[in-house]
Amino acid sequence: MSGKSPALRTSLPQRRLARKGLLFTAPYVVLLLLFGITPAAYGLYQAFIVTKIMGDPEFSLWQNFADVLGDYRLGTSAANVALYMLTWLPALLILVFALALAMDAKRSKFAALTRFLTYVPGAITGSAAALLWLFMFSPTVSPIGPALRALSGTDATFVSDETMPLILAIMGISAGAGGWVVILFGALTGIPSDLIESAQLDGATAWQTVWHVKLPMIRSYVAFVLIVSLANGFQVFVEPTVIRAGAPAHISQTWSVNQLAYVYATGGQLNYGRASALSILLLAVCIGLAVIIIKRTNFYSLEDN
Amino acid sequence: MLRLAGGKIGRNLFFVATIVFFGLPVLWLLLAPTKSNYALSYENPMSFGSLAQFGDTWNNLVTYNDGIIWRWALNSIWYTAVTVGVALAASLPAGYAMAKFRFRFRGTLLFLTLLLMLVPQAALILPMYLEMSTFHLINTPWAVILPLTFYPFGVYMTYLYAKASVPSEIIEAARIDGCGEFGIFRRVFLPLARPVIVMITFFGVVGTWNAFFLPFIMLTDDKLATLQTGLQLLVASTSAVSGGNQSTLPIHAPEVALASVISITPIVLMFLFAQKQLIAGQAQGAVKG
Repeated sequence: MSGKSPALRTSLPQRRLARKGLLFTAPYVVLLLLFGITPAAYGLYQAFIVTKIMGDPEFSLWQNFADVLGDYRLGTSAANVALYMLTWLPALLILVFALALAMDAKRSKFAALTRFLTYVPGAITGSAAALLWLFMFSPTVSPIGPALRALSGTDATFVSDETMPLILAIMGISAGAGGWVVILFGALTGIPSDLIESAQLDGATAWQTVWHVKLPMIRSYVAFVLIVSLANGFQVFVEPTVIRAGAPAHISQTWSVNQLAYVYATGGQLNYGRASALSILLLAVCIGLAVIIIKRTNFYSLEDN
Repeated sequence: MLRLAGGKIGRNLFFVATIVFFGLPVLWLLLAPTKSNYALSYENPMSFGSLAQFGDTWNNLVTYNDGIIWRWALNSIWYTAVTVGVALAASLPAGYAMAKFRFRFRGTLLFLTLLLMLVPQAALILPMYLEMSTFHLINTPWAVILPLTFYPFGVYMTYLYAKASVPSEIIEAARIDGCGEFGIFRRVFLPLARPVIVMITFFGVVGTWNAFFLPFIMLTDDKLATLQTGLQLLVASTSAVSGGNQSTLPIHAPEVALASVISITPIVLMFLFAQKQLIAGQAQGAVKG
């Protein structure tokens, strides 16, 4: 970390590189300001605008947040999302790391086929996913009908508020695991081969290579998977909405926290301030967890230490 | 499970179980267009219908609204091409510079990139709509293309790759040889970064191709729809999924399944292609540590 010393900071090549750094990032910075910061800042501003039933909107630093936190539906939604995360995240992490490491251990044709098939469900989204999963979870028409019947004991649809964490975990793993496997496998193949070879020359077993060479080398990706998955999990919205479209009587409209935000923004009240306030609270939880992960894994360092 | 996956037999069993879990829903979707709507609900879920029935399903779909599905496909293709082109041109140099140069606001930029990756898409849709309407872009393709050119995921992946897999010594050596910074980026970094370029191109294409809420909100003209929002229009105008049967159009679950298969085919083909490219890139770009 010699670059931190003031003497080097002011040297001419360093200044030239600093200018190049700004130049290289300029197009991205423009896009970030226009399509990242601007809408986010506007959303933040909206969180402090209170919609009145009668009369003009008012500015308040706390009113929307207090209203949201006092909403009786929030507790249920938050508990639903928490239960879903506890079902889905550990299963996803174990599966994607196990798959990527198994594929890397022996790069066979069969492993490549598995990697391909793991990815395909990720391409099925929106209305197509709605059609597919509604059929999958209706015992009379589903290829896994007998298993569903054994679990629920009836022929009625398996979809309900209580089974949603399990359904969403299966949907989430089916649609999301393939992408992570590709990324992690890519990271594993990016490890310089002489590192692996020298470990093997020193007599490391396959398992020791995994624990002491491969996993430490892809440590940044562990943090990356965790942060993005946490954010996606907390924000779960499309899947419960999609499932609900086919079984409206079985699923609450505000099953997840983000669905509650959507109901604020689009429901009878058109209360965009409350929707923004809830999004900010949700984001605060995500950022809090992300900061802990970043601190723990030293994610930001310029060089690999 | 991990230890079992270590052995050859254990590993292959693990792969077989994985294939069943991920493949079964896909196989069901592929079989659905070969069956009638009735057969789909009352016959063996994993049975094959008939080629004649598949032909009927195909005709029902491509004659819907004078074959508007091909227009949706064309829209999806060109929106995606422009979006990903611009996103890559902005993301690659940014990710590289953040990993290899030390400059003011570098930390801030990294932090904002990660932060904005965490912001719920749903939370940004309305402000984005108002912004686009300020620029008079609502109901033009640009209202979908421009927001998606902001691609923090691509920047982060490039940053991680440049940091972990492109040694600073190579860049330093090129610098000593008198190569300019842009030349180093183009002639040293880009060839080495081929695996990550293929990867973020692939995820960029998938993300844009599958984008649903943005085109759903920004484009109300049926002729501007993408395959994803078109599929929604198809479902909404015929109640093919919710089970209602008020529509006289011959669009039911098998037609929707066929439209789904059409919309995922390019992604699946691209994945096959990208997978080969990834392996090829890895063989060439074997980096010495």
